[in-house]
Amino acid sequence: MNEQDRKRKRALIVFQIVIYGFLLTMFLIQMNMYMNRDW
Amino acid sequence: MNLPTFTRRRASADTAKTTATSSVTYDQHHEQSRAAQRHADIWLTIGTALMGTFVLGFIGLPIFLRGVWLQRQAQKAGLSVRPIMVTLIGYLVVLDAFLNSIGWILDLGASHTLITRVFFTAWGNFVDNGYFWHYNELWIGGSSAPGEKGWEVTLIFTVFPMRVAAAIAFLQMKRWGHQWLTVTCWFGVVIWVGYVVNMTMYADIRFDGTVLPVVGWWLYDIFYITPFLAIPYLHTVNREIFSD
Repeated sequence: MNEQDRKRKRALIVFQIVIYGFLLTMFLIQMNMYMNRDW
Repeated sequence: MNLPTFTRRRASADTAKTTATSSVTYDQHHEQSRAAQRHADIWLTIGTALMGTFVLGFIGLPIFLRGVWLQRQAQKAGLSVRPIMVTLIGYLVVLDAFLNSIGWILDLGASHTLITRVFFTAWGNFVDNGYFWHYNELWIGGSSAPGEKGWEVTLIFTVFPMRVAAAIAFLQMKRWGHQWLTVTCWFGVVIWVGYVVNMTMYADIRFDGTVLPVVGWWLYDIFYITPFLAIPYLHTVNREIFSD
């Protein structure tokens, strides 16, 4: 595996952490609203 | 176990193996591979088409799985067929684009039909009030949730058709299919970020009075994130396997 491949893999791992982190954050915001509102 | 069905399967797999490994010319091998791939593709396509209708999904899944099994058998027999991962990603993307399109086209163009009024509002009442609250009360009908129609029109007419075309070319192992699938899978990220923020901004409308707020919506919709699960694979696969 050359340097470029290594960098690509690292970037993809960072991307996945960011995107799933974002989805989880949105879910938690909604859950927080759910607990505080009369839905 | 020595049930007749199992032994027949094993016997046919063994025959396929013998045929493929015995000395054949390049042309014969090519022809056998093509035939095996075509056979599997018929099952895979019919299975995906049935699953794409929503209601016939339970019939479509076993047909699709048989297609996967046939392709795996051909691979084991030494034939040159498409990699299983390419098959799964390609058909999954077609299915995702179809399921999204059919649901939203019904909401956009057939919002006053009995089936839409029954299914959409029942589903809306259960997990997403955007499909229940003031349903069919705007000038175009269907969902009245803020932003929903913008997403429907944008995605039905841009990314979903692009995604189906790209996935078909990807299944044919064409280079532009791989490139365009990468583009449309990144578009999946745009869709999810935009749509989920929209849901959260108007959460009071989307979840007020639903049977299963928040959790229900996520349980149902989380399966639609599958296209961008493919991004790491698309960026790391050996691009040389796709031809110009």
